[in-house]
Amino acid sequence: MIEIKNITKKFPSVTALDNISLKINDKEFFGLLGPNGAGKSTLMNLLIGYLDADEGEITIDNEKVKRDNLLVRTKIGLVPQSIALYDDLSAFENLEIFGSFYGIKKRLLRAVIAENLNRVQLYDRRKDKVKNFSGGMKRRLNIAASLLHDPKLLLCDEPTVGVDPQSRNAIFDYLIQLNEEGKTIVYTTHYMEEAERLCSRIAIIDFGKIIAEGTLEKLLEKLPYEQTIIINKNHSTADKIELFKSFGNLLNEQEKYELKPFDHLKLSDFFRSMEENDISYQSIDLHKPTLEALFLHLTGRRLRD
Amino acid sequence: MKAVISLIKKDYKLFFHDKPAVSLTFLVPAVLIFLFGSIFGGSSSAPTGIHIAFVNNSESKVAHKLESVLDTTKAFMLIKEFTNDEGKTVKFDTNSIKDYVRKGNVSAALVIPQDAFTDTSTGLRLKFYYDPKNEIEMQTIQGLMLQTIMSQMPNIFMASMQHRAETFLGKNKGMRFNRKIASVVSEYYGVDTSKILNWTKFSFSDSLVSDSASNKNNFFKDLLDLQKTQLVGQNVNNPNATRSVGGWAMMFLLFTITASSTSLFDENKSGVVVRILSSPISRVQILWGKYLYNISLGCIQLLVLFMTGYIFFGIDIFSNFINLILIIIAAAAASTSFGMLLAAFSKTSAQANGLGTFLILTMSAIGGAWFPTFILPHFIQILSKGTIVYWSMEGFLQVLWRNANTVEILPYVGVLLGITAVVNFISILQFKKGNVF
Repeated sequence: MIEIKNITKKFPSVTALDNISLKINDKEFFGLLGPNGAGKSTLMNLLIGYLDADEGEITIDNEKVKRDNLLVRTKIGLVPQSIALYDDLSAFENLEIFGSFYGIKKRLLRAVIAENLNRVQLYDRRKDKVKNFSGGMKRRLNIAASLLHDPKLLLCDEPTVGVDPQSRNAIFDYLIQLNEEGKTIVYTTHYMEEAERLCSRIAIIDFGKIIAEGTLEKLLEKLPYEQTIIINKNHSTADKIELFKSFGNLLNEQEKYELKPFDHLKLSDFFRSMEENDISYQSIDLHKPTLEALFLHLTGRRLRD
Repeated sequence: MKAVISLIKKDYKLFFHDKPAVSLTFLVPAVLIFLFGSIFGGSSSAPTGIHIAFVNNSESKVAHKLESVLDTTKAFMLIKEFTNDEGKTVKFDTNSIKDYVRKGNVSAALVIPQDAFTDTSTGLRLKFYYDPKNEIEMQTIQGLMLQTIMSQMPNIFMASMQHRAETFLGKNKGMRFNRKIASVVSEYYGVDTSKILNWTKFSFSDSLVSDSASNKNNFFKDLLDLQKTQLVGQNVNNPNATRSVGGWAMMFLLFTITASSTSLFDENKSGVVVRILSSPISRVQILWGKYLYNISLGCIQLLVLFMTGYIFFGIDIFSNFINLILIIIAAAAASTSFGMLLAAFSKTSAQANGLGTFLILTMSAIGGAWFPTFILPHFIQILSKGTIVYWSMEGFLQVLWRNANTVEILPYVGVLLGITAVVNFISILQFKKGNVF
């Protein structure tokens, strides 16, 4: 189990983490959701012992994580945000190098590398230089490099940045499979869709503070409404902005309005009003609210602002 | 036009934000122009203060006159004493002065022997011992030495002429001839006869009274008999290549090591360093890994370059191979520490490489890789002794040129390792501040 107790980390110009506490259970797929600069990567760097906290303590299975505690790192596999590979070396050579840091014997290491390359569908390309790989292939190899020592805990720091949807899905499937096999996964992202799809529990972080934490359902219960109203833009909705605003907080997007209804709004009242204003039902959809809506509700800002 | 001006402004803005580019455009050429200007023109056209060992065993006035001239000339600084094995400062004799040159303390020694100018002399006899470890330096020293000595030749020439006249005519006839000539000159030019006679006798006349039967057919040769003896490097296969290989090898070694050390920035930028640090490896281990890798790479590079010298130019690297290896290791360690220092103090790879290029070219220039340091201004000669290039080159010359033994190269190894220790200490302090990772 990972225990993060009252962690504070300050840099000269900013407090990156401000008295954060979290508990992550074994075999959990834990999401850390927040906008860029929220403190996610700093927390990752503290979890691998790359940085030391100014205050507080992190333990993994009751063992303190610190810069000078190298042993605890054998339990951790890091998938960095950047593609941390040597471009001019082959996939196999890269894995050989990173595996050697864990003292795995050569013969065993070769077998482990082959297995991991197979799992990310790169075995056939093992002799190719990484610089000739596509973005998705590099991302998959980036993950394989962090699994050679069979870590109990996998830390994924935005591992799908810049990846096409197909490769992203492949990565998701692989991570879900790893979690099902028993690995604890901590996954940072600023894509709420990723957190919603992958994570059994999510912490939302903003300006170095945890502003909400729980399962997706529990988090969404914090919203004062159960459904988001989507109004598709057409000639009948053209000059009805003030009307929509009278029912909730309105987001004016390119092709639609997104309405977060006020507390205790009766949907029957809303639809009656729409009918009276000649706005057809076909223009209106009801959606289950997302973490994006929760973030907006909690911070007044959109996740990707 | 406005668009073009905007584009020009943009390029200038980018250029001045790129410190390595600014440095390579202005600072590096300016420093090199200064150095080359100092050597091949500029404020002083001739080198000064060249150290030469000197001993005068002659009691003749000619010898004392020459010593005083050499003492006062700016070109040379005469070293007349040395510290012996017992730590006492003693004056040179003919044997100790040769040892002094052989050990590489100076490149040349001038000995005025006891019989430099005797009663039987028709000219001046000098002994010149030298170590041509640097050909340009040796040619310059010999040129300046001859120039200085020859400036005194009219006096010697006049005395020698008088002596010759007396030899051919007999002493009494010669004296009469001189007096006759003096009276004629006195009559026509109104100069006192005694003055003319004193002038022709000059100050050496006391040594010109005896007869000399030798060298009558080689007058000019006899006037200055400079006996040159090479003390070091007589058996070196290819002197020019042997002299220069160390300097060039060091310059390229520094470039290689700098590039390798600054690769830390690229690894950090790509996230590889974070990945490595997420494994059971510490920052200190990363630095050690990088450091030992660079030293081994440096050793291999130097060995390959010396092997190239052996294959193509016949440079003898095997007769003193163990000591060559010692200097190679010390030079590689010092060069690596330089590379790590650059990495520690720079903020980006580009900055480190820009600064590295500037420092390497400067160190190579003032350290003696391109031209001998003796022709540089005095203060730069002092600076040169603070460079890795200087001590490495001197170490290589000790081994390849002087065939020095292990004890003799220890000072060079010691200085290089001392530089390594100091520079590493500074680098570690800087790395702890966390500029790189």
